[in-house]
Amino acid sequence: MSEDIEIQLRRALRPVEPSAGFAERVMRALPERAPRPALAPVTVLRPAPRAGLWRTLSAPSALAASLVVAVMLGQHVGEQVGREQTEREQRAGLAARAELMQALRITSRKLDLAYQAVNRPAPAPPPAEENRS
Amino acid sequence: MNRVESSTVVNEAAHADTDSLLRRARDGDATAFAGIVRWHQSSVFSIGYRMLGRRDAAEDLAQDVFLQLYRKLDSIESFEHLGFWLRRVAANLAIDRLRRVPYTTTYTLDAVVEPDAPEKTEDHLMTRALTRLLGELPPGPRAVMVLRYQEDRDVAEIAAALDMPVNTVKSHIKRSLTALRGKLVGTQLITAENLFEGNGP
Repeated sequence: MSEDIEIQLRRALRPVEPSAGFAERVMRALPERAPRPALAPVTVLRPAPRAGLWRTLSAPSALAASLVVAVMLGQHVGEQVGREQTEREQRAGLAARAELMQALRITSRKLDLAYQAVNRPAPAPPPAEENRS
Repeated sequence: MNRVESSTVVNEAAHADTDSLLRRARDGDATAFAGIVRWHQSSVFSIGYRMLGRRDAAEDLAQDVFLQLYRKLDSIESFEHLGFWLRRVAANLAIDRLRRVPYTTTYTLDAVVEPDAPEKTEDHLMTRALTRLLGELPPGPRAVMVLRYQEDRDVAEIAAALDMPVNTVKSHIKRSLTALRGKLVGTQLITAENLFEGNGP
C-alpha cells in the first residue's frame, strides 16, 4: 500500500452514471419553453388613446398653456375695448364739428343781416315846403 | 498529420460541435438540450452522489441542476462556461442541502463504484474506505475534495466555483488529506510510514 493517497482518491472518486433514462426524465420535467422567434419582435407603436388636453399635460405645461391663453384673451379684449373707445371718440368729434358748423352758419347769417342793415341806402328826404311858401 | 495536430483538429471539431449544441438549445431545440444533459449527466450526478451519498438524492439534485440550467441557458456563454456553471451549481446546491438536513452521509452499498476490471481486494477495500471517510468530512471541504479529485479541477477554479479564497481551498485540501490518511491508518489500510506521503496540491 505505497500508492499516494491522491491517486487512491482519484480512483475512488471515478464518475458514476445515473440510472438509465435519466436524461429522458429530466426532459419530461422541463417546463414548456417557447422557441425563439427567428427575428426580434417588431415593436408596433400605437397612437395613445385620446385623452383630454389637460390630462395629457403635466402641471407646469398646463400652467404655461393657461398663461398663454389668458394673455391672448386679454390682448383680444384690450383691442376690442380700444376699438370701441376710438369709435366713441370719433363719433364725439363728428358731433362737435357739426355743432361748430351750425354755430358758424348762424353767426354768418347774423353778420349778413347786420351788413345789409348797415349798407342799406338812406331814405330820400320828404318833399320841400318851399313850394307853398 | 502527427498525433498532436490530429488531437487538436478533433478538439476543435468537438468544440464547434458542443458550441453548436449550446446555441441550438438556447434557440429552443429540445433535442440539443437533451444532448447537453447526456454530455454532463455523469459529472453532475457524481458530484451529488459523492456529496449526498445516496443515488436517489443525487438524481434529485442533478435534475434540479438541469432544470436551473434550462431557465438560465441564455446566460451561458460557451460550453466551457457551461461545465463550470454546472459544477458550481451542483456543488453549492449539495452543500445547501447538507446544511439544511445535517445528516452524516451514510453511503449505501451501491455507493462504492464497482471496478470495471477485476481489482485487487486491497484496492477495492481502499476505495470503499476512502468513499466512506470522504462522507465524514464537513460539506465545504467535501465539495473541495470532490471537485479536486473527481472533477480534476485546479485550485483557482474550485475557489471560483465555491466562492472561497484560493488559500482556503488549499488549506481544505491539505487538512482533508491529512485527516483521511489518519483515519486510513486506523483502518489498517495504510501504514504509519506512508502517512505523510504527498502534501496535496
